[in-house]
Amino acid sequence: MEKQQTPQPESIVEIEAVTRVYRQGAHEVHALRGLNLQIARGEFTAICGPSGSGKTTLLNVIGALDRPSSGSVRLEGRELGNMSQRERSAMRRDRIGFVFQSYNLVPVLSACENTEMVLALQGVPRAERRAQVLRLLGEVGLGGMEQRRPDELSGGQQQRVAFARAIAAQPAVVLADEPTANLDSENAARLLDLMERLNRERGLTFLFATHDPRVMARARRIVRVEDGRVAQDELRPVA
Amino acid sequence: MEIWRTAWRNLWRNRRRTLVTLAAMALALCVMILYSGLLGGYLRDMERNITALEVGDLQVHAAGYLDDPSLHTRIAQPEALLARLRAGGYRATPRLLAWGMAAAQESSAGVSFRGVELASDSGVSSIHRRLQQGRWLDSADPQGIVIGRQLARILAVSPGAEIVALSQGADGALAAGLFRVRGVLQSIGDATDRAGVFMTAAAFRELFVLPGGAHQIVVRRPGTLALPAAAQAVRAAAAGLDVQTWRERMPTLASLLDSARGGMLVMFFIVYAAVAILVLNAMLMAVFERIRELGVLKALGVGPGGVLALMLAEASLLSLLAIAAGAALAAPFLHYLQVVGLNLASLAGVSFMGVAMNPVWRAHVNAAVFAEPILALLLIVAAAVCYPSLRAAFLDPVQAMRHS
Repeated sequence: MEKQQTPQPESIVEIEAVTRVYRQGAHEVHALRGLNLQIARGEFTAICGPSGSGKTTLLNVIGALDRPSSGSVRLEGRELGNMSQRERSAMRRDRIGFVFQSYNLVPVLSACENTEMVLALQGVPRAERRAQVLRLLGEVGLGGMEQRRPDELSGGQQQRVAFARAIAAQPAVVLADEPTANLDSENAARLLDLMERLNRERGLTFLFATHDPRVMARARRIVRVEDGRVAQDELRPVA
Repeated sequence: MEIWRTAWRNLWRNRRRTLVTLAAMALALCVMILYSGLLGGYLRDMERNITALEVGDLQVHAAGYLDDPSLHTRIAQPEALLARLRAGGYRATPRLLAWGMAAAQESSAGVSFRGVELASDSGVSSIHRRLQQGRWLDSADPQGIVIGRQLARILAVSPGAEIVALSQGADGALAAGLFRVRGVLQSIGDATDRAGVFMTAAAFRELFVLPGGAHQIVVRRPGTLALPAAAQAVRAAAAGLDVQTWRERMPTLASLLDSARGGMLVMFFIVYAAVAILVLNAMLMAVFERIRELGVLKALGVGPGGVLALMLAEASLLSLLAIAAGAALAAPFLHYLQVVGLNLASLAGVSFMGVAMNPVWRAHVNAAVFAEPILALLLIVAAAVCYPSLRAAFLDPVQAMRHS
């Protein structure tokens, strides 16, 4: 007789025995040491740990920006390690949203143009993407600022543009590397409110690499990484 | 990504650098357009002086004449060949040639006598319009001659003066005659300037006792026909005769003119090499300044081709601006050089490889004068932007985003 299993939430990210070794001159730096992790669709997870613990490397490996030295990384069931450069670019463009610590907007493009960049890369017709982006910028509280360039926006506003850019193409997962590190409390809270709302309403999956207690306080799962391994994996009750 | 709009804005991120690069490119292009126009004018004038004054596009001689130029080695039936050539659209004229001596008062000089058919010669050569003094030959004045400017100086004669011509006639007897100078030529070329004595064909035949034939037929091809094709056709029409193009008659000069075109390429390379270094520097700076941003673009899914296209679009816009500015800058100067030209009056009489230089050096303007320097500029810019563009295209996004 078959054993009855409880339905498990669909894993969006599956990491098995991943190592990442960098060479620095004559030395080898082991950034990840056989790390295992699964992220389910709709999670709001913070990866924390001291500097040099491997948080950013883990995010880069999940984001198809970096290749593991060994082990397996699957995103929506597709193995990233085997993909060609072109496939990895397409994966980043279509299935992954990035939010960086220092916003990383293109300075010569307006808020609207920055936000629609990924949609343009996907070949979405101009009128369609423009309508979609205007709606999205309104949703993140930047209505009326669509034509402003990054140097005409505050840090908080720039990070909301970066966030809008990250979610514009409806990615499978949003990877945010220290997204609140350069924001004051008010702007950090506003951004996190926004992320929480979209996670709740749209089931968008968020994965943060962070030191920031403000982020960790909101996370429903905290994965602590130390020395390139998962040291602690804590699920927290939904508030 | 809307590449052209982004490229245009990127171009003006560092306005000063872009303007300096643009100015250097435009100036280099302007210089090369002017140089190309002037060189084209020089080559055209040289070729015109060679072909239109004396040599023609092609020359026909009796077999063996060029190896041993003798009064007796003549084209026996020039009229038949002339008729065939004229029927084919060629302009052609017979000439009679002999060597001898000319004396006036106390002076004498070795000379080259040239008998010309006045009616047909004026359709082939423009020498009759290149008089420094006096008038061209006239059939009504069979004793009138036209001489080279150096010869006039050597003999100390001017129009109206008498000259005694001495040589040996075809009958073996002394050929002597008294002639009067009708005109003195401008500088035509070394040989003509120092020794040329032109007389009517009738006078020549009488002096040298030559009832028929011609030593040389000078041929001008129809304007649209290339020289090799013309040579082939004339050779077919002049079976048994020796047909040579002006390039074969003057091989050193021909190869020198060819090498002048090659020199233009060297000049392109030298002037544009400086531009290439400037463009290379500007594009490298553009990459290094934006390395983090380019890393972000790659992280967001822009592939190497997209980054490469962006960098090439920036270089293309820069080149287009430089081309517009350079051509606009060159146009009025080129127009001046075409219409007014450079006054070389101080070099009057100076010849190059035996061919006289015109007193005014004018530019020759056609599409190639603009197209060649522009094409060369585009090639140089393309070569210069290859390295920075490829470097940008194949950046590792993680490394690039770590760049501070």
